[in-house]
Amino acid sequence: MYSGGNASSLPLVGGKAEPTIKQLSKPGRRASRFPKLDVPEVEISNSALTSIKPTLPEVSEHDLVMHYSRLAHRNFAVDLGFYPLGSCTMKYNPRFADFVASLPTFANSHPSTPSKFTQGNLSILFELEHYLTEITGMDCATFQPPAGASGELTGLLIIKKYLQENNLQHKNQIIVPDSAHGTNPASAKMAGFEVVEVSTDLRGMVNIEDLKDKVNENTAGLMLTNPNTGGLFEENIVQISKVIHDEGGLVYYDGANLNAIVGVCRPGDMGFDIVHSNLHKTFATPHGGGGPGSGPVAVKNFLREYLPGPIVIKKDDIYEWYEPASSIGRMHGYHGNFLVALRALVYMKLLGKEGLDELGSYAVLNARYLSSIVSKVIPLAYDEPCMHEFVASVKNLKKSHKIKAYDVGKALLDRGFHSPTIYFPLIVEEALMFEPTETQTVDTLDDLAATLEIIIQELQETESSFEEYPKNLPVGRPNELIPAKHLTVNWGDFELLEITE
Amino acid sequence: MFVPHSEIDLKKMFEELSIETLDDLFKHLPESLKLNNGLDLEPSLSELEAISYFESKEALNTQNLICFAGGGHYDVYLPHTVKTLTMRPEFMTSYTPYQAEISQGILQILFEYQSLICDLTDMQLANASLYDGATAVAEAISVAINKTKRDEIIMSSGFNPNTKTVVNTLIDQQKFPVHYISLDENYLFPENYEFTEKQAAFVISLPHYEGTAQDLTNLVSKAKEKGLVSICYIDPSMLGILKTPGSMGFDIVVAEGQSMGSSLSFGGPTVGWFATRKDFARLVPGRIIGESRDSKNNKTYVMTLRAREQDIRREKASSNICTNQTLNAVGSTIHLSWLGPQGLQEIGYQAIQKAAYMKSQLIEHGFTISNNTNSLREFLIQTKNDSSQIIEKMGARGFLAGIKYSEKEILTAVTEKRTKIEIDSFIQNLLEVDNV
Repeated sequence: MYSGGNASSLPLVGGKAEPTIKQLSKPGRRASRFPKLDVPEVEISNSALTSIKPTLPEVSEHDLVMHYSRLAHRNFAVDLGFYPLGSCTMKYNPRFADFVASLPTFANSHPSTPSKFTQGNLSILFELEHYLTEITGMDCATFQPPAGASGELTGLLIIKKYLQENNLQHKNQIIVPDSAHGTNPASAKMAGFEVVEVSTDLRGMVNIEDLKDKVNENTAGLMLTNPNTGGLFEENIVQISKVIHDEGGLVYYDGANLNAIVGVCRPGDMGFDIVHSNLHKTFATPHGGGGPGSGPVAVKNFLREYLPGPIVIKKDDIYEWYEPASSIGRMHGYHGNFLVALRALVYMKLLGKEGLDELGSYAVLNARYLSSIVSKVIPLAYDEPCMHEFVASVKNLKKSHKIKAYDVGKALLDRGFHSPTIYFPLIVEEALMFEPTETQTVDTLDDLAATLEIIIQELQETESSFEEYPKNLPVGRPNELIPAKHLTVNWGDFELLEITE
Repeated sequence: MFVPHSEIDLKKMFEELSIETLDDLFKHLPESLKLNNGLDLEPSLSELEAISYFESKEALNTQNLICFAGGGHYDVYLPHTVKTLTMRPEFMTSYTPYQAEISQGILQILFEYQSLICDLTDMQLANASLYDGATAVAEAISVAINKTKRDEIIMSSGFNPNTKTVVNTLIDQQKFPVHYISLDENYLFPENYEFTEKQAAFVISLPHYEGTAQDLTNLVSKAKEKGLVSICYIDPSMLGILKTPGSMGFDIVVAEGQSMGSSLSFGGPTVGWFATRKDFARLVPGRIIGESRDSKNNKTYVMTLRAREQDIRREKASSNICTNQTLNAVGSTIHLSWLGPQGLQEIGYQAIQKAAYMKSQLIEHGFTISNNTNSLREFLIQTKNDSSQIIEKMGARGFLAGIKYSEKEILTAVTEKRTKIEIDSFIQNLLEVDNV
């Protein structure tokens, strides 16, 4: 079988380990050259200055280029193969956005440049706000949060300030489902709230009865993603919002799973008051090996004056910065990850109404199809129609053959696919969470399911230890405990002994 | 757009799912929530049309302003080698390296990044990046609060006002008041400042926001005597000529890393550096990469000390950070390796020499520098007219003159990129726009 998403042809098979840039260093080599100093040299004295040269590697430019290019060859990427990673929305990142983001006045503008000289940049944010608020059903937005977790914290600080200004300081509890991303409770705690967990029912949705029990006069709000982390649409979402609103709390939408519903329905219509979006998921900006992301926060009008400032407004065709009256402050030194926001606007402009109207539908179609064919190999966690992602579980295989989700993920790596998200959500045993996104072909989805079948067969029959998987990659299964016990976190051979987890 | 399915593909998928239309996928959704007419947005653009759309947006920006602004973000030369290597798709389009076996590239670069930062700052443990310099200061203060279990913060007022606002937003002022200590008449932190045992952290910038710098060894040692955690915010592009924060005794070093590997980018994405001493390991926010061994005893890099992180520890995590600024950290790594010791020293040295020339010329032409004596690459020019107006007028003449500091002062920065011709022309133009 052939598929565009199978990377098994990659020469990832490494022989030796790549040396570090320090090991390539020899005194006197250098890559950098600068123009000669063109001003008269003077004696400058200051007690903070030193003439001792800094400690850095000394390498030739060709050595440097070869080293980092070889390291590039030791890395999987969206441009190389399929990431069926649940909750991460690893879709194709249009190359065209790279071009726009590198246009000089966008890439090279200093963040302190007055708005008079950066009308283009402000208009980008203004236009993106229009797209984002229409897609989410909200009224206005800030682009300061540089990632989803920062967006969550922004939303929670807005809730806190709103409650303070309405003399409702006693409301100090944030309700979070037990299936939520770890950032939700971590953000709630950072904002100074107490975290109250609400359980999930047998169908995989928020347990409404438990929610009603947990809601009381101290409820400040609820954080929820819809579809939830099981990939299921919370059918009672309108009722859930009402339960929180009736008690005077606010409802926060974690946009991690927004890809499922773009053009289908909108958080704003479901009763959410605050929404963050992950531009690096839903709007196709590259993940960068772990960032930069962008987590803009959109709110309904009654919360506009609490947004971190400044935000962009338009007056008589001139774009201006506006400082919201009761702003929570700032979440970033300047305007957030502007170039990431720009890439997201490029993506939205390329898709336009036609593409965005159908975005969620195709994301769900691919996931529903994949869930249908994968379910013939691995049982699904919930017997409900999935949205953009679904959760399967190998708990039976663990009982019968000691095959863990971890083993399945590692074996997939060997065969040209990234592992699905494993052991998440925490409430599903031996969970494998798949999210194909809308940009993979049906061939790639078929190939993944067929590969899973082969792997499970092989793992069931193998005489050898699963520890041997993966077998075809530059390195084998790492011992993840060594560095925690004998911490080697820099090349100075520094060891932090006797750390116990 | 980017949906790959042909009619044949769709037929196959619809058959598998026993559906006839895409709408059939959503039968279980409440009717009242469905968008029946879709979104109210403009039609899609082809790539060709999008080029003119975005070029028209670009044209709204003033082109080619010669940058004399700093305040944390500096117009340091970013080599093409660094840009193109950083933007390799294997780095740019990869996911967080949880699967070590297929992520050795990113993991090794982040290990090199952590090591380079430790070497440069004289620290022992760096994390794999934070959002930016401002949020890194706030994260460092949280670490100090957790380490000391004290609740007062002593922070120098010599910080970018935006950084102070970020700190005031992220640190709960009701529980952990931040006291800003003004710089003295020489624009230096008062050497006679006395710390107390109630204080958790001493936070200071090297150089100060105003551009002045001082050896901080004595202050840090006084803070240490009272049990404070000392936090140094540095300008990475000056690390080639400044004493290391580690040698001055600091416990935590943070930085706005833009000048090392990222373009100015209107402020983002850049990268926040964070480095500390080993005894702070458990309190460090964000990801840390460590060196381990694989099942065949080969050297293998992995994410480590994971039990601090939000996906495992949830509300007990050391920070809520998940997605960070990895690609910008890759940029820092490659840029630092490209510069080498001579290169990093040279950009610092040229910057302060050119700044010294600019200050002397400004003074010769009748301007006053508020902090001539102790300033290095950045300094305060006193204007005769309103500083905002001067910045606007200079902008119309092709110069970003700096950042407004007060009604009659501009904070101006010089990097190694500025030439004598640009500096002379700046002064000539300033003379013309700032007359009485």
